[in-house]
Amino acid sequence: MSQGEIVDKVVTYVVSEIVDDKDAVEVNVVQDGDDAVVAEVRAAKSDMGRVIGKRGRVARAIRNVASAAGDEEGVAVDVDFLD
Amino acid sequence: MDEWVEVQGKTVDLAVDVAMTELGVTDRADIEVEVVQEPQAGGFLGRGRQEAIVRVTKAPRKRRRRRGRGRNQDDRSDDNRRKNQNEKSPKPKQGKGQGKNRQAAGGDRDRNSGGNGASRDRNEKRQEPKVSKSDSERSADDRPEQAPIEEQAEVAKEFISGLLEAFGLEGKVETRIDEDVMYIDVSGTQTEALIGPKGSVMQSVLELTRTVVQRRTYGAPRMRIDIGGYVERRREALRIYASKLAAQVIEDKGEIMLEPMNAADRKVLHDAVAEIDDVRTYSEGEDPRRAVVIAYSGPRDEEE
Repeated sequence: MSQGEIVDKVVTYVVSEIVDDKDAVEVNVVQDGDDAVVAEVRAAKSDMGRVIGKRGRVARAIRNVASAAGDEEGVAVDVDFLD
Repeated sequence: MDEWVEVQGKTVDLAVDVAMTELGVTDRADIEVEVVQEPQAGGFLGRGRQEAIVRVTKAPRKRRRRRGRGRNQDDRSDDNRRKNQNEKSPKPKQGKGQGKNRQAAGGDRDRNSGGNGASRDRNEKRQEPKVSKSDSERSADDRPEQAPIEEQAEVAKEFISGLLEAFGLEGKVETRIDEDVMYIDVSGTQTEALIGPKGSVMQSVLELTRTVVQRRTYGAPRMRIDIGGYVERRREALRIYASKLAAQVIEDKGEIMLEPMNAADRKVLHDAVAEIDDVRTYSEGEDPRRAVVIAYSGPRDEEE
């Protein structure tokens, strides 16, 4: 199992559950040095506000949960929300 | 259930916002606000400036219907429009000031009447709110009715079950509804992974669950979560910690600021300290650096 697989699954799942347009959700987990990954999240423009949430609350929660997913497979996780 | 906090802030509104987070309430209709101290602008260079202090109490929530989930501002303008439309008709109006909520069934309206702008339209509020959801011309932008809490619990359960699956964890998700609060219990030895340091991951899971429920059912009830029995263990630890610190504060007649904690932990501390004489608590700072302060509130010596 490649590193970041759980992170990918978890982030994709969570973001898809939040948005209107599931098809537009794209999560790319890229290696970022040893034992670290960056999860790049893309979603429909109209959904981005939801994904970030008021004062970034939802984004923070996603980061937190993504890190927990990373712990499961021994990688540090950063989540980037891209337009 | 008298849960309340006292919070200081630049304006009454800001303080109320913070207090709501503290109480785990997302809806202004669920609270009562008592302004302990009005904010003062202060003179030159803000000298003598006073921050607002509010005491916010959780109002008992009856079965309510709500339709909106937008921000207050939107609904307020909506209310205004509606009000104008209704001006000539004898149709009972719903008061505003409750922000995004409108009740279809009367009852606890007055008790819930705290919150922003509640002082307006007092008389309007007194009227029996007889408007039912099918009644009155609903404008095109009306949002759907919030789903019943049982349905919301199903959505929450499904979401968390899916999350466990994405994590590759075995676990069981159960929900329970008590006095319109949704309790989510996640059990299974592997679910520890979803707790995180000081329950931070668990709180994030709740935040995400709330977001999903909100999205799917056009509203979210008050929600609590526990994973692997963490809440009770943490609560007990915090209680012991609080009583030690309170003893210290009483001895020094001073105050102690604790490390920053999430709203749930702060709530436990507020409650624990509330049972101890001669000390009180309040919170300072903004999330995620918000921290509880335990302060002496007993008698002072003469010379002081």
